[in-house]
Order: sequence, then C-alpha cells, then structure tokens
Amino acid sequence: MSAILSHGMIAPLFLAWTPFLQPAPNAEVWWWLLLIPMSFGVAMAYKAIRVEQLSDWPRAATKMALQVIGAVVGIAVGLYLLVIVLLPMLPAE
Amino acid sequence: MPANDSDSTFRPLGAILGWVFPGLGHIVAGNTRRGFYAMAGVLTLFLGGLLVGGIDCVDRKEAGLWFIGQAGCGPIAFATSAANDALLKSGWAAPMVEMPSPADGPKVYVSSFKGIAHSNEFGTLFVFLAGLLNICVLLDAAVHAPRSDAPSGGRRSGEGARA
Repeated sequence: MSAILSHGMIAPLFLAWTPFLQPAPNAEVWWWLLLIPMSFGVAMAYKAIRVEQLSDWPRAATKMALQVIGAVVGIAVGLYLLVIVLLPMLPAE
Repeated sequence: MPANDSDSTFRPLGAILGWVFPGLGHIVAGNTRRGFYAMAGVLTLFLGGLLVGGIDCVDRKEAGLWFIGQAGCGPIAFATSAANDALLKSGWAAPMVEMPSPADGPKVYVSSFKGIAHSNEFGTLFVFLAGLLNICVLLDAAVHAPRSDAPSGGRRSGEGARA
C-alpha cells in the first residue's frame, strides 16, 4: 500500500471521486482498514444501550472496539500461521 | 438496592419512533443523551457504508435479502434505495454502460457508478449492520423507562457490574 501511495496512484482517484454517489476508489487495496470504523460503529451503538452510566460510554465503546479489532487481528495471525507456516510443513502424501 | 431503569412495560411508540430515525425513541422518551449516542453509532455505520459503497449498496430490488436487514435503519434506508433508482439506475448521475451478455440475449445496461467487489461488499455490510443494531436500539427504546438517564441513575436490569 505504501508503494502505491508513494507513486501517487491513489490521490488522483480520490480527487475524481464523488462521495456517496460513487463507490470509494481502490477499496481492494485498503478494505482491511474498514475493520476500524466498523468496530467503532458497532461498539458505539451497542454500548449506548448497555452502559448504566452514560459517562462510561466513551470508555466502554473504545474498549469494546479495541477488543473486536484485537480479536480479528488475532484470528488473522492464527490463520496466517496455520495456512502459510503449518500446513506446508505437513507431508505431501 | 440499585434502581431499575428497564421494566416489563413495552412501549410500542418508542419502537416506532426508533425506527423512524435512529435514537429518536430514546430522545422523545427523555433519555436524550442515550438516544444521541445510539444515533451516532448507527449513523456512523450507515453513512460509512454509503461513503465506501455509494448509494448503490442499498438496493431494495436487486439485493432484497440484504435490504431486509438494512430496512432496520428505517426510512433513511428506503430513501437511499429510492435515490439509487432515481440517480444511478436511471442514468441521471452517470452514463450507463452495456454489460457483457449472450449474443442472443437482451442487452443489459448498468450505471458506470455501480459498485462492485470490495467497495460494494463492505458498503452493503456496513448498512446491514446499522440496520441490525438499530433494531436492538429501538427494542431498547420500547422497554427503557422514560427519563431514567439522570446523572445518578442506577444499574441497567441484568447488567451487573459490566459496562
């Protein structure tokens, strides 16, 4: 992704983008970053109806969002190790 | 003994208002801050989905199963689907392009702004999640005691020490 950004390939696409009418450009490159707003959105709505004291809402929502992100990253690392590292070590037959 | 701000009384008006606009059921019942917080979460997902996938990711006709969940957001989901029909599918916002089709089949045209692949998938998923969460929010609005969010309010029913 940094290579694409450094070559200035994404910026012109965003300049020509009409938000809400057109899909966001080059989402196939940065789609995994959408985990962050998705986690925060879910946590914000869920914690709004779950916290007893509303003063706890920012902390509780942030904590839940970070837990979701951590869990998904953990699953990704686990699957990477399973598929890329462990499975190739198995005998072919 | 802690106060209980959730009771067995079901208030259909709270659920209906919560469907009309996310968080409105809580706001009208006097739980204003809770309503705005819930609104912020649902609208973050809804608008985030539209930003990523464009209005094409809410389509009542072509993505009917997804729309069942997205409709939980209320009239804003129906308005977005109508805007998709009026702006994109009509060719008003962008030129229509011909899709590959069998030689003897009918020609199919779609908007050049139509979302495909990751952008469409994640946009659709975001709006779907917004709809499902708003259903949780409006159900809470139906059973949440009115004006129960005073600064010194007690615990929620069944929540214990969790936050």
